Amino acid sequence: MPTSSDDRNGPRSIPALLHRNASQFGGSAAYREKDLGIWQAWTWSQTEAEIQALSLGLINLGVNEGDFIAIIGRNRPYLYWSMVAAQAVGAIPVPLYQDAGADEMAYVLDHCGARFAIVADQEQVDKVIEVQEKLHQFEHMIYLDPRGLRKYDHSKLHQYAHVQDQGRAAKDELLPDLERRETKLAYDSSCVMLYTSGTTGKPKGVMLSNRNVIETARSSSDFDQLRDTDEVLAYLPMAWVGDFIFSIGQAYWTGFCVNCPESPDTMMTDLREIGPSYYFAPPRIFETQLTQVMIRMEDAGPFKKRIFDYFMAHARKVGSSILDGHSVALVDRLKYALGEFMVYGPLKNALGFSSVRVGYTAGEAIGPEIFDFYRSLGINLKQLYGQTEATVFITAQPDGEVRSDTVGVPCPGVELRIADNGEVFYRSPGVFVEYYKNAASTADTKDAEGWVATGDAGFIEEGTGHLRIIDRAKDVGKMASGALFAPKYAENKLKFFPNILEAVVFGSEREECTAFINIDLTAVGNWAERNNIAYASYQELTAHPQVMGTVQDHVEDVNVSLAEDAMLSGCQIHRFVILHKELDADDGELTRTRKVRRRIIEQKYGDIIKALYDGSPKISTTTEVTYEDGRKGSISATLEIRDAKVAPAGTQKVAAE
Amino acid sequence: MKDTVGYTTADGRQIGGTVMEMKNITLRFGGVEAIKNISFDVHEGEIRAIIGPNGAGKSSMLNVISGFYHPQEGEVWYRGERRPTMKPYEVARQGIARTFQNIALFEGMSVLDNVMTGRLTHMHAGMFSQAMWWGKARDEEILNRQKVEEVIDFLEIQAIRKTPVGRLPYGLKKRVELARALAAEPQILLLDEPMAGMNVEEKEDMSRFILDVNDEFGTTIVLIEHDMGVVMDLSDRVVVMDYGKKIGDGTPDEVRSNQDVIDAYLGVQH
Amino acid sequence: MLEQIFIAPFIDMIEAPDFLMQVLWEGLVSGILYALIALGFVLIFRSSRIFNFAQGIMVVFAALTLVGLYELGVPAWICVLLTLFVMFVLAIAIERIVLRPLVGQPDIILFMATIGITLFLIGFGEIIFGGENKIMITAELGIPTDSWVLEPFGGLLILEQKDVTAVAVAAMLVVGLLVFLNKTRMGRAIRALGDDHQAALSVGISLQTIWVLVWFIAGIIALVTGIAWGARAGVSFALEVIAYKALPVLMLGGLESITGAIIGGLMIGMLEKLFEIYWGQPLMGGNTETWFAFVLALIVLLFRPQGLFGEKIIERV
Repeated sequence: MPTSSDDRNGPRSIPALLHRNASQFGGSAAYREKDLGIWQAWTWSQTEAEIQALSLGLINLGVNEGDFIAIIGRNRPYLYWSMVAAQAVGAIPVPLYQDAGADEMAYVLDHCGARFAIVADQEQVDKVIEVQEKLHQFEHMIYLDPRGLRKYDHSKLHQYAHVQDQGRAAKDELLPDLERRETKLAYDSSCVMLYTSGTTGKPKGVMLSNRNVIETARSSSDFDQLRDTDEVLAYLPMAWVGDFIFSIGQAYWTGFCVNCPESPDTMMTDLREIGPSYYFAPPRIFETQLTQVMIRMEDAGPFKKRIFDYFMAHARKVGSSILDGHSVALVDRLKYALGEFMVYGPLKNALGFSSVRVGYTAGEAIGPEIFDFYRSLGINLKQLYGQTEATVFITAQPDGEVRSDTVGVPCPGVELRIADNGEVFYRSPGVFVEYYKNAASTADTKDAEGWVATGDAGFIEEGTGHLRIIDRAKDVGKMASGALFAPKYAENKLKFFPNILEAVVFGSEREECTAFINIDLTAVGNWAERNNIAYASYQELTAHPQVMGTVQDHVEDVNVSLAEDAMLSGCQIHRFVILHKELDADDGELTRTRKVRRRIIEQKYGDIIKALYDGSPKISTTTEVTYEDGRKGSISATLEIRDAKVAPAGTQKVAAE
Repeated sequence: MKDTVGYTTADGRQIGGTVMEMKNITLRFGGVEAIKNISFDVHEGEIRAIIGPNGAGKSSMLNVISGFYHPQEGEVWYRGERRPTMKPYEVARQGIARTFQNIALFEGMSVLDNVMTGRLTHMHAGMFSQAMWWGKARDEEILNRQKVEEVIDFLEIQAIRKTPVGRLPYGLKKRVELARALAAEPQILLLDEPMAGMNVEEKEDMSRFILDVNDEFGTTIVLIEHDMGVVMDLSDRVVVMDYGKKIGDGTPDEVRSNQDVIDAYLGVQH
Repeated sequence: MLEQIFIAPFIDMIEAPDFLMQVLWEGLVSGILYALIALGFVLIFRSSRIFNFAQGIMVVFAALTLVGLYELGVPAWICVLLTLFVMFVLAIAIERIVLRPLVGQPDIILFMATIGITLFLIGFGEIIFGGENKIMITAELGIPTDSWVLEPFGGLLILEQKDVTAVAVAAMLVVGLLVFLNKTRMGRAIRALGDDHQAALSVGISLQTIWVLVWFIAGIIALVTGIAWGARAGVSFALEVIAYKALPVLMLGGLESITGAIIGGLMIGMLEKLFEIYWGQPLMGGNTETWFAFVLALIVLLFRPQGLFGEKIIERV
């Protein structure tokens, strides 16, 4: 067992936890990675040795205490070690999004003044070299994969393994320095700096202390009884606070094993092979997996399909109740057990969820059907609500109190407060230290008493104490009539349809709401294939009359459900258009975590929005796009605008505010 | 051989001496001359392109090199020796691997098995010990699998390792075919229109892989392409064919300024 | 009548389980031999797209050679080795004289060529060995001819030891072939060749070597089948017929599926025996074994044109 949570003299930094784990669980696996088709494993003792070699190598290269070290690449054990090695030598690791463009990268590297970067491969090396001249403090770069880099100038470029070799060679000489630096690490010294992608403006560097990370890891591990035998699959961006907490914070606190996929494309196969017991995924991934299951069932034989439908119907009826420990008739339990054998078990196995004990989703609202689908299979999927500034955890759903429309109760140690305008505030041991070099923003977000504004509007449900989120506080506006305008609420309802990938609703200060729709190419494309509908491009598919018709039906369904709530019935969508291109983070239309950037979209597609409100049936437009390699181009299209039926408001009693 | 001295390319790579030379090759099908008295050489470590309009005889030339066609006249010199008439599988065993314009894969087998067949020329253990998974055969199999996994990693096709090839889209099939050829660790890699039928992004990927193969393993590459743009960016030296005749030979810049080549591509009447 | 079809046979089966076991055992023995022959077909078909009509006559030819050599006074085991050698020479001859000149010809031409081989072997065999029936040299090969008598459920089950030997040898051969195909370089090459000739050549596979190899394997299979079947029914040109039992097996199992050939063979062997004993003899005066398998295959094909184990044939637009 890890050190008891009451032990105030316990390890006070991640490197200290590493040494504790090496002595407590020395022989058990700390990391696994699939390489050349085989799962390679490192025990905690081996991990300790690898990290020590790298730490010594970093000192050898001249890393000083207080330096920032940028870490860029996909989830690999070596890069996780880099974070801990950076901490051990007194530096602060700054993981960056690997798919960030050179501009974004330049801003962050310059802002934190990183002297060193540890990167995955040639692609990242090239990006950093491209912006290097603009960076004043930048000195050395360390890379993992030497492919394609042999001919580069190596005066300031080092191979990871060589840095470790040099560290090992200089061990006698440098070890005292390393040990001295490690003992200086205090509970309140910096642990990591994470840049929030931010829906507006430049990214902000959120500084988290050892206290933030360790306290949060401890209480959240207790909350879900995580243990050293758990397994996680690390596949979400290393720059995201969630991955830092799951794959480093909780992993080092409880000593569980972090598994890294072979490549981003093999994630699903690797998931199946590892069968994690603790799993996190944004709603998007659960949606994709469900879509794939449904597509496969469409192609299956009629017999198989009937069995599947039969048992899934039964699972929907009793599955969640069984999972929540409610009483269920014996016959239904037996039938569920048979279903487990025939359908649920094999399906969970195919999805890689056979051993999931605790599963979380967060970041966006998840569709109730999707959420219930997984829970009815017996997968303990729960929701949590969090932020980088809170070191993730604000609220989470305890076992047995799981619903798709709330985000749970405050996590241990977290206090909640709802402001008059509906904005949610919290205070906890996880509250961040500061936005680096941005005192003004820090003061805006965190008040003197330690309360942090989430920027989200929500309310605490009476009776259960669960928090429900409506929308971003600043996005909750008023329509011209004075009615409440909550675009995200309507957008989420739209996005719960598998055919709709993304939606943007407009209507602030206007008479009525309108919407942009992005169709989901996988779902709609598959539908087209099954119905023998030929299409040459995404654009052509979006303009197909039957696709338009289907989306119109979805919009009208959403209108009916919006109308049920008098408070939000003003958000019903009167007119909509299906966009001719997917909203894309490369074009700045979404954040890297795929949140809609409303302002930018309003600017960029001003002509289409105008057409939505002036009653025109069609609009011709030209849009600039950015290709993966950074080149720009443009696409033109004529889009059809459709009217949608609106339901009469307040068909149901309104809940009091 | 006449010229065994290497040269240095524009981007500073050191190219070795001549590894293969075609001397006065003439190939006829019935009365039609597909290749008319063509000679050219290939240096070790270079990327050598054969270009020309459709029907110029490029594919025939590649088939001569790989032993699928046998020229009526002329000689093929390989590694300093005159090559006798050889069957395709004998050429393959000499370290010359190839891909096909129309993709020739084993559709019923998985990607992994397909790439493994590329190792056939490297398997020597006796049949019995192979079947029993014994001693030498076992070490050999592990070594071959290791090599194959490196190629899979190199070409970034890990995700489709177990997928039957028949189910893959066109662009990926091309990549699997390249993987199979690479698994043979060839001295010379022959690519027959590696970019045919690909979209811009796939072409860029393929170009990068070709350059990486040459750079990382030092493999000599002979490729056929009719897309001039791609070829000029990729190759060190180019042979230009038109109606079975060689009308140009040299670096991309030399070829670009060659009047015969310009005429052929602008469609001057013959 | 209905009672006789749907009820009586099953009552018989339950009342005399020992006899049912005997019937199934007999079926299994023929079944495994059918499977073996079907495997020979599948192997040749997969590597060269040739439907080898000559497989049946090869069984006869191998058995005749073996017995013929023994009659010349050669020791039995040497006869086996010599027969294997003859089959090897035959494989080379077929590749050289028949297949190589016909490379690239339509499948039907190659099929006709195998009919040619059949006719040649019939004539050639008769000239050398004569047309009269011979006795298989079972005991001389060291194959036990006794029987084991078991008493399951208080009944009686007789297992002829030569049948047990046949099953054991055939099973070993099947397993050996599977390992060979999946684990060895040559096996991989055979599978590859079946998929794409051009590609196979380009990775260093020699068509000629593989063809000789698969025809030689077909020859080995023919010899084993010839010995096993000859031990039960004597050696004559009538033996050829058992090879045609492989046809319904192939229809059931699909021309390319190795698993299909094995399961199909066992199924047909047992089902035709069951049908003969419980339905054929009481209702139709027996001798149903000659046609039952074909009718069964026809019925299956009505519902599953790709065979029981064949890949679903999907025509994509």
